[in-house]
Amino acid sequence: MDAAEVVDTTTTDFNRDVQPLLAEYCSDCHADGESKGGIAFDRLKLEGGHPGSSELWLAVLKNVRAGLMPPARKSQPTDAERQRLEQWIKREAFGLDPADPDPGRVTVRRLNRTEYRNTVRDLMGVDFKAEEEFPPDDTGHGFDNIGDVLTLSPMLLEKYLTAARAIVDQAVPVVPGVPAEISVTGRRFRKDPKESSDNPAGEGPLSLPYGEAAVVAHAYPVEVAGRYQLILDLTATEKFVDNVFDYNRCRFILSVDGEPVLQREFARESDRTFQLEVERDWTAGEHELRLEVVPLTPEEKPVRSLALRINRFTARGPMEPSQWVKPKGYARFFPTDPPADPAGRRAYVSALLGDFASRAFRRPVDAATRERLAALAETIYSQPGKSVEAGVAQGMVAVLASPRFLFREEMVEAVDRGRKHPFLDEYSLASRLSYFLWSSMPDDELFRLAGLGQLRANLSAQVKRMLADGRSAAFVENFTGQWLQSRDIESVVIDSRVVLGREDAPDPERDRRMARFRELRMKDEESLSPAEKEEISELRATIFRPGRRRPELDRELRRAMRRETERVFDHIIREDRSVLEFLDSNYTFLNERLARHYDLTNLNVLGDDMRRVELPPGNPRGGVLTQGTVLAVTSNPTRTSPVKRGVFLLENVLGMPPPPPPPDIPALEDSAKASKERPLSLRETLEIHRGQPLCSSCHDRMDPLGLALENFNAMGMWRDRELGQPVDPTGRLSTGESFTDVRGLKRILATQHQRDFYRCLTEKLLIYALGRGLEYSDVGTVDPIVDRLERGDGRPSGLIMGVIESAPFQQRRKAGTDGHRNAAGASGQRADLRTSP
Amino acid sequence: MNSSTNPTGDAARRPHLNRRHFLRGLGACVALPAFDSLPSSSVLRGADAGVPPLAVTGTGAPLRTAFVYFPNGAIPSAWWPEGGETDFKFGPTLESLEGVRSQVQVLGGLDHLNATAGNDGGGDHARANGTFLTGVRMRKSATEIRAGVSIDQMMARSIGHLTRHPSLELTCDFSRKTGGCDSGYSCAYQYNISWSSESAPMTPEGNPRQVFERLFGTGAAGERAANLKRRQQEQRSVLDFVMEDARAMQGRLGARDQEKLDQYLTGVRELETRIQKAERFGAAKDPGIETPRGVPPEYAEYLRVMYDMLLLTFQTDSTRVGSLLLAHDGSNRSFGEIGIFEGHHDLSHHQNRPEMIQKVADIDRWYVKQFAAFLERLRATPDVDGRSLLDNSMIVYGGGNADGNRHTHSNLPILLAGGGGGTLSPGRMVKHGGKPATNLFLSLADRQGIQGLERFGDSTGRLQGI
Repeated sequence: MDAAEVVDTTTTDFNRDVQPLLAEYCSDCHADGESKGGIAFDRLKLEGGHPGSSELWLAVLKNVRAGLMPPARKSQPTDAERQRLEQWIKREAFGLDPADPDPGRVTVRRLNRTEYRNTVRDLMGVDFKAEEEFPPDDTGHGFDNIGDVLTLSPMLLEKYLTAARAIVDQAVPVVPGVPAEISVTGRRFRKDPKESSDNPAGEGPLSLPYGEAAVVAHAYPVEVAGRYQLILDLTATEKFVDNVFDYNRCRFILSVDGEPVLQREFARESDRTFQLEVERDWTAGEHELRLEVVPLTPEEKPVRSLALRINRFTARGPMEPSQWVKPKGYARFFPTDPPADPAGRRAYVSALLGDFASRAFRRPVDAATRERLAALAETIYSQPGKSVEAGVAQGMVAVLASPRFLFREEMVEAVDRGRKHPFLDEYSLASRLSYFLWSSMPDDELFRLAGLGQLRANLSAQVKRMLADGRSAAFVENFTGQWLQSRDIESVVIDSRVVLGREDAPDPERDRRMARFRELRMKDEESLSPAEKEEISELRATIFRPGRRRPELDRELRRAMRRETERVFDHIIREDRSVLEFLDSNYTFLNERLARHYDLTNLNVLGDDMRRVELPPGNPRGGVLTQGTVLAVTSNPTRTSPVKRGVFLLENVLGMPPPPPPPDIPALEDSAKASKERPLSLRETLEIHRGQPLCSSCHDRMDPLGLALENFNAMGMWRDRELGQPVDPTGRLSTGESFTDVRGLKRILATQHQRDFYRCLTEKLLIYALGRGLEYSDVGTVDPIVDRLERGDGRPSGLIMGVIESAPFQQRRKAGTDGHRNAAGASGQRADLRTSP
Repeated sequence: MNSSTNPTGDAARRPHLNRRHFLRGLGACVALPAFDSLPSSSVLRGADAGVPPLAVTGTGAPLRTAFVYFPNGAIPSAWWPEGGETDFKFGPTLESLEGVRSQVQVLGGLDHLNATAGNDGGGDHARANGTFLTGVRMRKSATEIRAGVSIDQMMARSIGHLTRHPSLELTCDFSRKTGGCDSGYSCAYQYNISWSSESAPMTPEGNPRQVFERLFGTGAAGERAANLKRRQQEQRSVLDFVMEDARAMQGRLGARDQEKLDQYLTGVRELETRIQKAERFGAAKDPGIETPRGVPPEYAEYLRVMYDMLLLTFQTDSTRVGSLLLAHDGSNRSFGEIGIFEGHHDLSHHQNRPEMIQKVADIDRWYVKQFAAFLERLRATPDVDGRSLLDNSMIVYGGGNADGNRHTHSNLPILLAGGGGGTLSPGRMVKHGGKPATNLFLSLADRQGIQGLERFGDSTGRLQGI
């Protein structure tokens, strides 16, 4: 039996059990006239039947648990005393009932961009680029799937309507038959007709420069004789060269079966794409297509590499309706042909759209909805020249624009299972699971089980199946991407030249040149004298020292970094390894580029693929603290930021974010002034900063964590020196543990702060799974999951199932109990506003 | 034989905007006589006797208001001009406004006290941003969003029915970071300056292609109006269906959920109104230029294109109220193009180091330079009454932080450009001595013809002498 459970059976009383503890351990600063941080335990007001607000006690709980209070230099309560305090807070101050926890309040969630895209992919088979078409979603608590924060402006509604139309237009054919269409890519056209044309290497576009005479041909096999439409798709490409033009031209000739059918002259066309079309009557058998480029301007200098890029050739036909085929994607949306009689049509449309809406709305729709959709479809297909399919398509547009698609409305079971708060119905549960693990809609299997009322009974098997499914990559990407902010690596601005320059001693001469460079660049281009222009290019060349080692944080490297973070997470989840390996592990995932960036060139990691790599003994890498993503996204554009890194670790690893900096930050310049004779290192500046009492309480916690990572520059590369001085990575945490460098810190976090990390990860996962922030009432949900992680050696299966089986995931707060106590809990400020005059 | 050559819209989908191409087109557009671009029904209506002058100038031309937000305050010593009301001399930051000096007012002594810490602690950037056009104290919460209606939206409520779009919200800050935003404030406060209700931010549009297509329709010049009309007709039947869905759903939901559905229904109603207006007003004059190709990679180019979108909107009288967020307060963008590789926000905490102060001032100056170019383009564009668009506009340029280093919110850097249709007296620097910035907004609202707005945010009265 757990210690916690033993205490469960005792009741705690504030005056008898808690008051003496506060008096003994806290009163130096928080009573008898002292009220540090605005807290005085001897002047608590009665709130909700107990002294002090829930917010206050949540803060007490967090601080005591994290070992921040009482401060390390003060006398400490015993474990039993801590538990007594915890117990009182949970049972009395929060009123938690472990047997029937409060699921909390969730606001109806709009699909965010990612969920919209994935849902459309699974529902319609269309890859809709929601990231380009929709504005970014606002985030709250670090995640972009928080119901309260996902707003819907008129502009977004308009975009949803436009998107619905575009998606349906792309996916749903509105005619029952079309001429067959076969395409080949440009590289099927060969210079030498003897060359085999079905060589698989010969795919992709073919580029023909204006300046080179060329003849290429392709033999096109025709199976059915008839009239064909031939379409050649090509782009007149150029390479951009500033301020220089290119006057080259060429003639392009398309011949079919030896007869020139089309000629056109091309000059510079600004990358335009052309579709050249001809129609031909073709017999069965092979037909030759020949493309010819004739240079017209041999005397002109080729500047912009003008070329014709042959993208593809398409033959559409035979054009005779008797030969038409079903359009692509027809069977997906129209499994049977529409009947001819009006009544049959109406029934057909009603059934089709009803089923579609049931999938889109993620629960069966009623007869009235079917009828409304069918009526809408009928208004279209009853118009002359409109097909039944076009009517169905219009119904689908309406479904995709409906709030029932865009919002995830949840319903609860009618049956009372003896708990205070009802359980979600099975369809709602299916959606919670699918949006948690796939960021998308439920699949057929989940719908089937929900329909049978068997989903809850098969929960653990279904979760296993869902995690094994490829769609769970969305969970890895979206959860790690936001928890560890690895998404931001794509856009973080880091200037590699300046970052690498920081390893050298300061160079006043270079700074002077830089200042001059900026001065000149601020001027208007037109007002520069030739001498100044000359000076700019000279300065540019010397400041940026070409030829120096300059690993750019380019797209490939950024991608490799993001993949490292994701692959480690994925690996730990799939192999059910301890989540502590996020903090400290002797392996990581690398490809050649990232291995080189990490200076791990002797491990024979070659190629683009990321793979698991065992790290040499003693190597500092392994664990999120040493991943490029974390190190770069917590840096400033030109240098590391130990403070940002410290805050990151407190927030995302230890779960105890420091309070925001005070509004009037004491001037750092005082520290800088303290030493005029030489520039201070960041460590020294921070040390002076910490010397001020107002700053020390937080910087004591942040700085040692951040400074331990100083061996990694802003791009995540290892360094021994900064500004010509050796890096000093030693430190001591505010909780007392000392270390000599990042390796020691990782060990301390994974052992001494294991429980903090378990709790932090649990909280983050719960926020992500529920789409809401956590409140004091959730302590009763988080604690048992943390216990479960601890008992299960940190295995993620326990964590994920713990979240899924928890009351907030399975239940909804009873209707009408969004009441007083809890609403006030969600926002102390609202309560304040109400009571103030 | 049947042959044809069809250039397709491939180029329009390319992510990189071809700058010269677009601007060349725009130049042509700017030269258009603006008469052509206005729906006849709304032109010169205000000149009729008995009709209150709502959103029109004395000559009956449309009067427009825009708000442009720049981030992280400005170095005060470089921002504020020296000298007197009319004989002032611009400092380095505002120098590029010299060419439009007669159309600019430098407003000193305007404050946003609700952006100060008060009892809310840190979070000055979120507050600066969220308070700027609302003038209210925002609830400090990551999820429970409570700001206030912003002045542009207040104006749009009264005059939005006059134009095809009630208002236009734009941003040049399109990428988001994960993680929390400023000190426990929801990111919504930091990325939105326009609010239609206390909980509903007007998400700004950041993609110039989509702004353009919303205004004028998709496709090539000449086809757009027809495309837009067809799309709106298709939307009609869909709107009826989803309206019914939304009403039924709203009946099933709790109070907080209903708020979300309200937002949905508001959007539906607005779109319906827009479709009706399209029928009444006819299509907006197609500017005849190539559709912009998405977000330009260069920031200067991005700003320029978005300013151009604002200009086009005003020129075609598609709306009379706009807002443009250049970057959110706290933005850490670096400016490699002018040799500044550090982040703007990092630099703004300059520790009084001269080289850092200089860099921040250079960034401030850079932003003003882009704004000055916009004003010049407005001035070069004739309006229906023969004056310039700039004459008939009121453009506020400013930020909610004064000194970015110390996070002060008094004596904010605020400019008021344009002639307000003859109701403003530009070409001056006026020190207003500690008045709420919302007083200025009230005075602009008066000019815009808004009736019955006694107070706004923390206003204490009208701002005299602008």
